Amino acid sequence: MIESLKKIYTIEEKSCRLFKMVIPQNEFLRTLNFISSSSNFMTLSQISCTDWIEDEVFALNYILTTEKRDKNLMVELTISRVDSKLPTLLNLFPQAEVMERDLHEMYGIEFIGNPTLYDFALEDWNEIPPLRREFDTLAYVNENFEFRAGREDNRDVKKETKRRRAEAKKLKAKKEAKK
Amino acid sequence: MQEEGFIDYQKVLNNEEHAIKSTQSVIQKAVDWFRSKSMFVLAYGTGCGAIEMPPTFTSRYDIERLGVVGVATPRQADILIVSGYCSYKTLKRVIRSYEQMNEPKYVIALGSCTINGGMYWDSYNTIKKLEDYIPVDMYVNGCMPRPEALIEGFVKLQANIKDAKREAGYIKYRENNEFYKTNQKKIFGDKIEPSYEANFAGMNQ
Repeated sequence: MIESLKKIYTIEEKSCRLFKMVIPQNEFLRTLNFISSSSNFMTLSQISCTDWIEDEVFALNYILTTEKRDKNLMVELTISRVDSKLPTLLNLFPQAEVMERDLHEMYGIEFIGNPTLYDFALEDWNEIPPLRREFDTLAYVNENFEFRAGREDNRDVKKETKRRRAEAKKLKAKKEAKK
Repeated sequence: MQEEGFIDYQKVLNNEEHAIKSTQSVIQKAVDWFRSKSMFVLAYGTGCGAIEMPPTFTSRYDIERLGVVGVATPRQADILIVSGYCSYKTLKRVIRSYEQMNEPKYVIALGSCTINGGMYWDSYNTIKKLEDYIPVDMYVNGCMPRPEALIEGFVKLQANIKDAKREAGYIKYRENNEFYKTNQKKIFGDKIEPSYEANFAGMNQ
């Protein structure tokens, strides 16, 4: 069935089981309606969101799955970070209710028509949504929680581990070249 | 005693370190001994440590041989196990369950997340020190501690109860209630539920 979709849309093949297509925001409902009704990608398994703060957009991935769960199709669209609004998918996929509620809580995206956009995992949250990248987690933690003493002398070992890993990789490559 | 791995329970019992101190009255000794032999644990799990509790209570490790039994409601329970990371939302429920429990009551904190935040040390939604909010009688460290470690924690707690060497957590909670309430208010603000332990003044007499 992916072949029939390939005739209409430009679909990138990530692997034999994963396909990806990018659509503009205004064609979003029409496209998902068409795909779910005319191909075997009939159910929505996940909505994922990536915060591209440099481009000032959210990239949303609607991951559709076949009946046999053997192929996945990612439908990607980007929306503005400032005025992040989208129509809800409730009429098409009832399971989108929880996913949209989660995205609303973590990123502040408003899904027009979804009646359940209130507290989900977070309770009494008054700050900006915590998974937006402008939210400074460490500053919030320092302000609200008290650490146990003993963390002051911890060192940042990220650079050192990176360097060591690169060295090990080089050694391995050398050994393989000798062989 | 200090051997690695599983502790011989009988050795712990015979050890002089855990012998009953002579300062206690005979009746108090007996009461403490009974208490240490029947610990009712609230069937409540927070975080990933809840996975370690079923094997501890079922036939493989069978902690019931030490007198530790699970019960359904906080009113019947003596022990609260905070098993793993404790988020803002969970802590509210933990405090509420703890205050509903009847004295004497003890808290076992399981896993490194309850000690210093563990791998959630910079999480916006997880508390870092459990002892700031409710008194902890026994910490079991590890990520996650195996059932053997939890059993060792229980055995040590039993010894503590029996010889009354350490001040029990519920007494601290009663006497330093203001300290705990201030800390709780610091993160919950006005959203905290009304306390179950409002009339401490009568209890201290």
